[in-house]
Amino acid sequence: MEVHINEDEHTTSGVIVKKFCGEVKCGFSDSKNSSNEEQERTASMRKLGIAVGLCVIFMAVEVVGGIKANSLAILTDAAHLLSDVAAFAISLFSIWASGWEANPRQSYGFFRIEILGALVSIQMIWLLAGILVYEAITRLLHETGEVQGFLMFLVATFGLIVNIIMAVLLGHDHGHGHSHGDHDHDHNGHGHSHGDHDHDHHEHDHGDEEQPLIKDGKKKKTRNINVQGAYLHVLGDSIQSIGVMIGGGLIWWKPQWKVIDLICTLVFSVIVLGTTINLLRNILEVLMESTPREIDAGKLEKGICEMDEVVAIHELHIWAITVGKILLACHVKIKPEENADLVLDKVIEYIRREYNISHVTIQIERE
Amino acid sequence: MDSAILTQKQDLESPRMLNGEFIFTGGGGDRRYAFSRQTSFRQSIEPHTPNDYSKPFLSRSASSIDIPPATVYSQDAAENLWREEAGFLAQEKGPVNKFSILLVVSSVFRILKSGNRLTKRLLMLIFLNVAYSTVELLIGLLSGHIGLVSDAFHLTFGCGILTFSLFAIVTSQKKPDRSYTYGYKRLEVLAAFTNALFLLFMCFSLAVEALHAFIQDESEHKHYLIVSAVTNLLVNIVGVWFFRNYTRINLVYRNAEDMNYHSVCLHVLADSIRSAGLILASWLLSLGVRNAEALCLGLVSVTVFMLVLPLFKATGGTLLQMAPSGIPSSALNKCYRQVISRDDVSEVSLPRFWELVPGYVVGSLTLQVKEGMDDRPVLQYVQGMYQDLGVQELTVQTDYTVNSHSLH
Repeated sequence: MEVHINEDEHTTSGVIVKKFCGEVKCGFSDSKNSSNEEQERTASMRKLGIAVGLCVIFMAVEVVGGIKANSLAILTDAAHLLSDVAAFAISLFSIWASGWEANPRQSYGFFRIEILGALVSIQMIWLLAGILVYEAITRLLHETGEVQGFLMFLVATFGLIVNIIMAVLLGHDHGHGHSHGDHDHDHNGHGHSHGDHDHDHHEHDHGDEEQPLIKDGKKKKTRNINVQGAYLHVLGDSIQSIGVMIGGGLIWWKPQWKVIDLICTLVFSVIVLGTTINLLRNILEVLMESTPREIDAGKLEKGICEMDEVVAIHELHIWAITVGKILLACHVKIKPEENADLVLDKVIEYIRREYNISHVTIQIERE
Repeated sequence: MDSAILTQKQDLESPRMLNGEFIFTGGGGDRRYAFSRQTSFRQSIEPHTPNDYSKPFLSRSASSIDIPPATVYSQDAAENLWREEAGFLAQEKGPVNKFSILLVVSSVFRILKSGNRLTKRLLMLIFLNVAYSTVELLIGLLSGHIGLVSDAFHLTFGCGILTFSLFAIVTSQKKPDRSYTYGYKRLEVLAAFTNALFLLFMCFSLAVEALHAFIQDESEHKHYLIVSAVTNLLVNIVGVWFFRNYTRINLVYRNAEDMNYHSVCLHVLADSIRSAGLILASWLLSLGVRNAEALCLGLVSVTVFMLVLPLFKATGGTLLQMAPSGIPSSALNKCYRQVISRDDVSEVSLPRFWELVPGYVVGSLTLQVKEGMDDRPVLQYVQGMYQDLGVQELTVQTDYTVNSHSLH
């Protein structure tokens, strides 16, 4: 027991571990012992912070320009930029909040906030697409001349440039430094497990490699889901800007082809919605506690059942707290004469080795 | 026991309204209501399928760990039953097939045939709203009134969200399968969350509109908007009447559908408040009150915000895997202390509980059993105790203490 407590305090890296029910509490301890994740989080936050700053500057420019020129179109575009700022703010908050320490009410930590934040971001994208279609319709109904067309074109171009800058900023993939960090981490992890025997085996949150996305040994580092959401937002805006540019150009050139503007906007809105489908599906799958795509549950079940001591496995649940952090819970029925502890070790080791799931809870039952 | 169940059946669609905040109804009370509620949705009586929520809780045997083997296979049997009933082709890949059009069309028919009363009402409400918004859109486009068009858009968005709620109700009756091991009930919580989110967005946009009206200070009478607002109000009042059981701000959620229906009710309520606000604004304007529009819109915005916030927090909490709201933490602490006070237990770690849907709590726990002790009685005890508390699924991992190991 003493060993157990020391372990946790040791890996807390200076943070006072909260007591839950009088016991030392391990949160979803990845955040405790992973400086890797801290780095990634601060990097993402920095990117988003810069994006927000730039957005605010551009928005101020547009607002001033719009008031000076007394043009509704420019102010409308400033409002779009405001929505960008809101989306970035949500993503920033989500990333920051997901690093909070776990507490008794949130026993898994705050990682889910990332997913909810991304969901809110995507809802905003959908909402904005709808608003843009509505604006296209109002443009259709308002009988104004070519001035609108030219102005629209200019404003859309400006918006496009801003969005492209943001997209480059957000989309630029991080990370050669990260893979080195991971290697160091691996070494530390091994050091730990040699030092302290049993607790490490059963104490699943321990000094493990932090590459939950590795499959078949490939180190595929995907973007943080919130940065991804922000990137999609910006991408959507760029696509919409292109649409508005085309529409504005058309109106400017041939003012009687107003319907094309609406059609253009509709088409581009649909394209924007299409880009979000993938992310939305990932989010939905996590929120529905479904088995993550990268894990083959059938194979896992078969693999465990193939062990001699195991008779059956049931109530197998594999779910993710956020993209990349996977948990597993199941009941394993073993032959009555077997040593439960040995089998437990074996199963946990198998799962960790083959599927790289380290947060497991296995209930051993005897027939 | 049977008579108690029968009397509870009347409660099926009108959840008992209790004043105030969430209350802990205790293990026994919860189970009774849960049982009566499940009977309306049980599609095939499957005894002993732990992954199936329609399992009658009262059938818990003395030894909770006597879970029959090969439940995995009975899952397939349950799936076959659902398949036959619905008449679809293979449901193996959950996510993609869920969104197929065939599914949608046939599920509409299924609702009309066998749905809950409230589900049918929701369907009617959606049709009503779609019809109304289409008419409004056409009139707005043809006559060139932008106000009507914007209102129609707003309604269309609302319809989309309501359709998602309906879709959630239908889909959540599917049995758990390979990739969705916990079933599809979470979808209802998600639908409720989306509804709440949409209402919050509406709040925000109303506030912006109020600000806009305040700055612009235009007080034009848009007569056509009054007609539209009155019709909108009527349509939404019908909706509120349909869901009148759920018109409370703080509701005790007993199961997933409660959240969904509550969100639908709040949706129509908020819409009707908005329409009423518009009518009030134009009446005040006709009386000559300045800034009436800004005032009314601001008032509506604040009201809707206060209405929606508890639902948003509750659904958000469930989606965030927060500790279950139905079980107070003091009860959990007490259980914890009871377990750890046992002779054969040396340590309890990583107790984690979360709510899949309101009323269905899942948890996991790790125990350290003293060496030489048999883990079976401990397991039984722990499982029984948490079951009584209202935790439906608990996975307990029993480790033996350090000293017993010389092999590692």
